[in-house]
Amino acid sequence: MAGADSPSAALRRRDLCARGIRLAGKMRSDVVNLLDAYVERQGLDASASVAAVEGVPQAAVERWDEQTGTQRLLENLAAYRAFRALLAQMLEEQREQLGEADAALGQALAAMLLQVSAFAYHLEELLRLESRGPPSEEEDGPPPQPQGLFEQKLRGLGVLRELAQWAVRSARDLRQLSKPGPGTGSAPSPSESP
Amino acid sequence: QNLKCVTHNFHKMICTWDVSPRTRHGQTDFCYTTNDLPTPVCFKTKEKRIEIPVPHSSSTVTITTNSISGTALASKEFKIHKKDVLFIPVTPRILSLTPDFSTSTLNLKWSDNGSVFPDGLDAVWQIQILRKETMEKVTQVNYHSKLTHEDIILSWNWTSDMPLECTSHYVKIRCYINVTQFVGVKEWSDWSPVEVIPGKDTDPSESGVFPLDTVVAVGSDVTFCCVHEEGQNITNMSYGSKPYPMIQLSSRSHAIRVLNASASDTSGTNVVCRLNNEMLEGTVLFVGYAPDTPQNLSCETPNFQIIKCTWKPGRPSGLYGKRRTKYSLFERTSGKNVSCEVNEMNRERVCGFPVLPDQKTYDFILGVSNPIGQAESSLLVDITQRVHPKTPEKLTVSENNSTSIHLRWFINGSFAQIRLLCQIEISSGHSEQKLHNVSMPGGKSSAYTAHLNALHPYTKYQFRVRCSAADHFWRWSDWSRVEEYTTSEA
Repeated sequence: MAGADSPSAALRRRDLCARGIRLAGKMRSDVVNLLDAYVERQGLDASASVAAVEGVPQAAVERWDEQTGTQRLLENLAAYRAFRALLAQMLEEQREQLGEADAALGQALAAMLLQVSAFAYHLEELLRLESRGPPSEEEDGPPPQPQGLFEQKLRGLGVLRELAQWAVRSARDLRQLSKPGPGTGSAPSPSESP
Repeated sequence: QNLKCVTHNFHKMICTWDVSPRTRHGQTDFCYTTNDLPTPVCFKTKEKRIEIPVPHSSSTVTITTNSISGTALASKEFKIHKKDVLFIPVTPRILSLTPDFSTSTLNLKWSDNGSVFPDGLDAVWQIQILRKETMEKVTQVNYHSKLTHEDIILSWNWTSDMPLECTSHYVKIRCYINVTQFVGVKEWSDWSPVEVIPGKDTDPSESGVFPLDTVVAVGSDVTFCCVHEEGQNITNMSYGSKPYPMIQLSSRSHAIRVLNASASDTSGTNVVCRLNNEMLEGTVLFVGYAPDTPQNLSCETPNFQIIKCTWKPGRPSGLYGKRRTKYSLFERTSGKNVSCEVNEMNRERVCGFPVLPDQKTYDFILGVSNPIGQAESSLLVDITQRVHPKTPEKLTVSENNSTSIHLRWFINGSFAQIRLLCQIEISSGHSEQKLHNVSMPGGKSSAYTAHLNALHPYTKYQFRVRCSAADHFWRWSDWSRVEEYTTSEA
C-alpha cells in the first residue's frame, strides 16, 4: 500500500484482512442460502440464464494477479457500494410487492444488506490505512427500474449470483493483501512490472 | 342495359347503366319523367351514372347514346317502379377506435348519420373484429340502435380475450336500416374502411410477454403472448413450471392459453418465454379472489375518543403487497372517510375511526376492495350503547377503619356522556368471593372511587375491578390487576 508499512499498520492491516476474509466467507454461505430461498419463493428456475444486469458490478476480472492492493480494495468497495444500493432496492420492491406475505425472505434480504454494508465499511477501514482513504460515495442515483416484475425477479437473481461471486473474489483479494511483500502495495514495484 | 338505381336517403337515387362497347365514347342523353312532372327532365352526360329524385310510384327513363359526332346510336326506355329501387345506407365511418391496454378493451365510436332519415327507424350495425397478420375474423356482433333524425355518435366496447399488445386488431362496421314503409329492396351498406390497433409485434423495437404483471380471479382463462425481435425464435413458453402449446399470431408473436387458472403463490406465477439465444422474457400473473363481504362488523368505543371496528374478513384473497385487499371506513352522516391499515397476514381485522364532536350515531360503510373486486358492509351504531372501557388502572386501597375501606382506580378515556357501572370482586382466604356493583357518573380521564363496608377485621383481601356502561350495557372492561389488603385489627 502507500510506502513501507509501520509494524503497527501492517499488523492492523493483516488483522482487518483476516476479519474481512471471515466476513466474506460468511457472506458467501449466507448469499448461497438466500439464493436458494429467492429462487424458490420467486418461482424461478435455478438454471435460468440471466443477462448481465445493468448496474451490477462483474466479479470476473482479467489479469487478477496483476492488480495492486489499492486497485483491489477500490474495486471491491465500488462493488459492495453498488450491491448495497441494489439490495436496498430489492428490499423496497419486496415490501411493495409482497408486504408482510413473505417476511422470511424480506428478513433474509435485510440481513444480507447489513452484511454488505458492514463489508463495505470494512473495506473503507482498510483503505483508510492508506494515505488517500476511501473515495467519497458518488451519488449514482437509484439503479435502473426493470420494466416488469419478471424482469425484476431475474435482476434479483442476477444480483445475488454476482454477489456470491464477489464474496469469493473478495476473500481471494484479501488473502492476497494480507500476504507480506510485493504485490500488496499501491504501486507495482519494479520487479512486478510485466 | 342493366339500369340500376340505388338510394341512400329515400330522396335521391343514383342510377347506373351499362352501354355496349360500340357506343362508349359519345355522350348520353338521359331523360326521366314521372306522373307529377309536366314534361320530361333531360340531361347530357358522359358518365354512366346520374342522380335523380326517388319517384313516389314510378319513373320512366329514356337513355339515348350518341356517337362522338352526336348522332343517336341507340335509345332505350325503362320503367322504374319504387320497388325496383335499392335502398343501401351510406357506408358508416368509424370516428375513433381507442384501445385500453390495461383491460384489453377496444372502444369504437361512429356516427349513425341519423339526420338523413326520418325519425324512429331501427338500425342494425354489424361490427367485425379481425386479428393477426392474416386478419382472421374473431367475432361479429350486431348492435341495434334507433335513428332519431339527428346525427348521434354511437359507442361500443369490446374486450379481447388476449392482450391488445399481442397482435394487431382490426375493426370494420356496416349497417342495415329496417325501413318497413320503403317498398324497394333493402341491403347492407358497404363495410367501413378498416381501423387498426397495431400490436407490439409490428414495432421492431418492442418485445416482451403480455399482459404485464396482471391480476385475475381464480378460474379465469388467460392468454399470454411472447413478442420477440426479428430473427429470434421461441424455444418454449411455460406457465409456472409447465410448458404450454404455442399458437402463432404473427412472425414475431406467439401465444399460450391458460385455462381455469388456480391461485398463485405470494410472488405470483411466472410466465416465461425462452428464446433460442437462451434469453428469457417473462411476466407475472397474480391469481386470487375478490374480497368476501365482511362478516360480523362490530364497532365500539373504549374511551369516546376512538371507535374501533372489527370484522371477519372471510376467505383470504391470496393477493399481497400493493395488490392486497384494502379497507376503508366511510361514515355517511359526517362524510368522513378513513383508510384502514390492515396486516394481511393476521386474521384479526381492526380499523379506528375518530369520535366526532357532538355525534353519537354513526352510519358506517366498511368498503373492501382489491384488483379483482370489491364488497362492503354497513352498520348503524350509537356509540353510547357500544362502550367497552379500557382496563381500570392504578387500583389502590385505603382504610377507613378495620371493617371499611376505600378503593380508588383510574380509567383512561372520557366518559362524561354516560354513567359507569363498576364491579368490584372481593376475595379472601376463608370466605366466598363476593361481587359488589357500584355506579357513578363518567368522568374525563379521571379517577373513580368506591366505598366497601362490612369487612372482617384483620383479614387479608384481594380486590379487583372492572367497568362498563351503566345504561345500555355492552361489554365489561377487562379486570384490573388484583390489589391485596389486610384490614387492621378491630
